[in-house]
Amino acid sequence: MLQQALALIARDIALARRQGGGLGAAFGFILSVMVLIPLAIGPDQILLSKLAPGMMWLALLLSVLLTADRMFQQDFEDGSLDVMAMGKLPFEVVTLAKALAHWITVSLPLAIITPPLGLLMSLDVSQLPILFVSMIAGSLALSLLAAIGGAVTAGLRRGGLLVSLLVLPLYVPVLIFGVAASSANMGPSGSTPALIVLCAITLMSLVISPWACAAALKAYLR
Amino acid sequence: MDFSAAHVSYVIASYAISGACVVGLFLYVLSRDRALAAKLKHQQEKDKS
Amino acid sequence: MQQFANPARFLKIANILLPYIWAITAILFAVGLYGALVTTPPDYQQGETVRIMYVHVPAAWLGLFVYCLMGFFSAVAFIYRHPLADAAAKTAAPLGAVFCFLALVTGSFWGKPMWGTWWAWGDARLTSMFILLLFYLGYMAVWNSIDEPTRAAAIARIVALVGVVNVFVVKFSVNWWNSLHQGPSVIKMGGPAIDKSMLWALLTMAVAYTMLFLALHLVSLRSEIASRKLRQARLVEIGNR
Repeated sequence: MLQQALALIARDIALARRQGGGLGAAFGFILSVMVLIPLAIGPDQILLSKLAPGMMWLALLLSVLLTADRMFQQDFEDGSLDVMAMGKLPFEVVTLAKALAHWITVSLPLAIITPPLGLLMSLDVSQLPILFVSMIAGSLALSLLAAIGGAVTAGLRRGGLLVSLLVLPLYVPVLIFGVAASSANMGPSGSTPALIVLCAITLMSLVISPWACAAALKAYLR
Repeated sequence: MDFSAAHVSYVIASYAISGACVVGLFLYVLSRDRALAAKLKHQQEKDKS
Repeated sequence: MQQFANPARFLKIANILLPYIWAITAILFAVGLYGALVTTPPDYQQGETVRIMYVHVPAAWLGLFVYCLMGFFSAVAFIYRHPLADAAAKTAAPLGAVFCFLALVTGSFWGKPMWGTWWAWGDARLTSMFILLLFYLGYMAVWNSIDEPTRAAAIARIVALVGVVNVFVVKFSVNWWNSLHQGPSVIKMGGPAIDKSMLWALLTMAVAYTMLFLALHLVSLRSEIASRKLRQARLVEIGNR
């Protein structure tokens, strides 16, 4: 079973690489947001650097959300999902594999790219390591939760807005603890518990997401 | 209630909007129920004929 | 529990109970409002504005309670696959959303004279209630987006169940965030202690609101059942042509 799951992940990664699975668009989006935020807030360096961790997490969230609805849609439309549902691999493992592939191809790269972009917002360089750690730690949860939104809207033609409405409340805890984990000015006493909670949220998502995605997709496949 | 106290307008506003929503809900739910019951009756009579 | 599962039986019981429920609701509101506006004393610190509590707190309780109820109905629907449970969840949502909205607006009206702002992210409950409203809207949007009723029910169930888990995680997160950013003064809406006469009025209003929800929910369910029968009858008609 593990071999089959890994094969599925590899397939999705290969597909994403060949078609430009959304990372390109998401990266472009994050760059644009990073330019627009300072324009919106103003050139006050101190204010910008204070707001930087929160704004960057927001940019990361929204970029991942942008690619959420395509997670299952293509395979749903061309029938591959039907085949996977009938296969020997439990459907929950299938959805988990797809979410993991999304994480490897989209969320993880974005989580690595975003912190350096923070320098555009006068981010305090000493905050970079913590920001890297917290964003990478939170990126898996972002993919898993986005998968739920993607699965619930897989059969809908214009599901984009609904995905946002459903997934953003799910993202609130990740945002709160992610930003808290990124703030070096809270010191290790503040950011470490937040990091631990972030990991706990990720573990919870690992349980809930495959179940919810499989159940939702089965409703569409019937 | 002392109607001349400070900030009384907020109290009145709160009760007003609560009342409006409650009454609004009441009217909406009941009128919808009546409309659907009528349509169903009409449909069932059509089916019998 | 099983005897309520049959729609026809449910309708019979509901129709018998409804007039009494409406009557109780009316009486409770009359007593509660009289208590809230006339007999209870103004607060030592807040003055007359404390009277907003009598419409804010019941709305907030109900907003949260109805969401948990939706989760319960969805769980029952998930396990027993009974369409009445799905209908119960579906019809509860708009009602809960209105109570949630009322809690937010009255909370804002209560906050303005107290804190000077229409909104304060610093009150964890207001923030959580706002996100709860988003949950309600998302759930209702699912029912609206999917045409086929069985499929809509299946998806809505999942959204409700995931939502209930998330409501508690969000509440926890927001409380934590709040404690982090809290200023020196603790913002507390209820005030330190509550007078006994105030408690009675509050409870009466809370039960009044709950009875109101029960009545509206039963009528909504009746409408929903009628709507389904209508849909089926029309489909049969089209099929017979």
